[in-house]
Amino acid sequence: MRAPMRRRTIIRMVLDPHLVLHQLFSPAFPVGAFAWSHGLEAAVQDGHIADATSAEAWLRDVLEHGAGWSDAVLCAQAAAGKNLRELVDLARALAPSAERRAETLEQGAAFAATVRAVWGADVPGAAYPVAVGAALRALDLPVDHGLRLYLQAFAANLCAACVRLVPLGQTDGQRITRALQPLCAALAARALAADLDDIGGFAPALDIASQRHEALHSRIFRS
Amino acid sequence: MPGIEPPAAAQRARGAALLAAHAAGGRTRIADLSMSGCAKLLFPRPAGPALDAVLLNASGGVTGGDRLALEVRAGPGAAARMTTQAAERVYRAPVSDAPGRVETALTVEAGAVLHWLPQETILFDGAALDRRLRIDMGGDARLIACEVLVFGRAAMGEVLRALRLRDRIDLRREGRLVFADRLRLEGDAAAALARAGVAGGAGAMASVLWAAPEAGARVDALRAALPATAGASALDSDLVFLRLLGRDGYALRKSLIPLLERLTETDLPRPWML
Repeated sequence: MRAPMRRRTIIRMVLDPHLVLHQLFSPAFPVGAFAWSHGLEAAVQDGHIADATSAEAWLRDVLEHGAGWSDAVLCAQAAAGKNLRELVDLARALAPSAERRAETLEQGAAFAATVRAVWGADVPGAAYPVAVGAALRALDLPVDHGLRLYLQAFAANLCAACVRLVPLGQTDGQRITRALQPLCAALAARALAADLDDIGGFAPALDIASQRHEALHSRIFRS
Repeated sequence: MPGIEPPAAAQRARGAALLAAHAAGGRTRIADLSMSGCAKLLFPRPAGPALDAVLLNASGGVTGGDRLALEVRAGPGAAARMTTQAAERVYRAPVSDAPGRVETALTVEAGAVLHWLPQETILFDGAALDRRLRIDMGGDARLIACEVLVFGRAAMGEVLRALRLRDRIDLRREGRLVFADRLRLEGDAAAALARAGVAGGAGAMASVLWAAPEAGARVDALRAALPATAGASALDSDLVFLRLLGRDGYALRKSLIPLLERLTETDLPRPWML
C-alpha cells in the first residue's frame, strides 16, 4: 500500500496539472485520433455536410445529441471512481456500428497504454472516455478542466476532418472549434452533475452515417 | 387550456403478462402463461411450428403514470414470434405526471428463436414514456427484434413541441452486455428531429437487432437492400444493428416491412397487415 501512495504524492507535487491535461489532449498525444471521422466522411459523401455552416451544425449534433454528451458522462463517472467494470462494458456496448466501436476502443487502448508507460498509473484499456476518466482520477487531475478539454479535443479532431473532407479553410475549422467552446463547457458542467442513467441522446442520423461509412467505396478515414 | 387535460385523479393503467414457451414434439407450446390488468396475450392459430403471440394493451394506449410489464421466455429449442394487436399510442401526459413506464424482458435460451416485432409506438405531442427492453440470450440463440418510434400523427399535421422520451435496450449474450441503446429525447422534439445529425427531418425511426451465428457474414447483402436513410453494421460476427429513418410512419413501413420479411424469411404477423 505504501509505494502507490508515495507515487501519488510525488505526482501531485512535481507536476502542473494544467500542463499534464494539455499534454493528454494535445493532437500530439499518440491516440491516433486523426484516423477517425466518427461517420463524418459518409455524411460529406451523402451531401449532409457541404460548407462551414452545415459542418458546425453537424458537430453540434455530435456533441449535444450524439456521443459527446454520453462520453462526457462516462468520463465523469470513471473520474469519480464509480462502477468501473460496468462503465467499461456499457461504453463498449453503446457503439452503434463496428467502426464507432473500434474508434473508441482503439483510441482508449492507445491512451491508456501511453499513460501507463509514461506515468506508471493504473489505467485500464477501455473505451476512450472511460480510459480518460480513469486517468484523470489516477493522476489526480482536475476533472472539470479535463472534461472540457476532452470534449474540445473530440470536436477539434472532427473539425480537422471537415477541413480535409468538405473541404474547408484552416481558418473556418478554427472558427468552428471556437464556436463550439461554449457547448463543450456547458456539456462538461452538466456531465459532472449527471448520473449513469442520464446517458443517452437521439441521433439516428449520426448512427446511420457511421454504419454507411463501412460500405463506402473510397475512404480516407477508419470511421 | 383548462378542461382539455384529463381529471387529475385519472385512473392509471396497470398491466403485466408473462409467457413461457417450450419445444415439445416438434412444435413450440405454451409452458406458462399469466396476465393481469390491461395486458392481454392472444394466440392466433399458428401458421407453422413456431408459437405466435399477440400482445394487446386493453387500456387503449399509454399515458402518464401507467405501468406495463411483459416477460417472455423461449426455452431451449423453442421458436416464438411476438407482435402487438395495434400500434401503441402514447398520449399527452400532464407535465406533473411521471412518464408511462413500459418494461419488457425477453429471454432466449440455447437453440431458441425469438422474433420480437411489435407494431409502431406513436408518440403524441406532450407524451411522456420511459421504456426498457432487456434481452438475455444463450450462446447459439437467435433473435430478430424491431422497435419503431413514430413522432406525432403526421396525417393530422401534429408537431411534437413537448416530449419526454427515454427508451433503452440492453442485449446480453450469456450474461455479457453486447449492445446497449440509450435513446433520450426531451423538450421540443420537432426542432431536434429537423437537425441533419439527428434525423434530417424524418418523423419515424426503426431500430433492428439481428442476432444469429450467420448475421455478420450477411450484412453486405442486407445493406444492398437498404434505402439511403438507413444503415446496418455487424457489431460482432453474430450481431447486426440497423437503424432506418422514414419521413413518417407510412413511409417507414414501406421500407421496413420488406426488410423484416427478408430477415425473418416469412410474412409478418397478421396484425401488421390489417
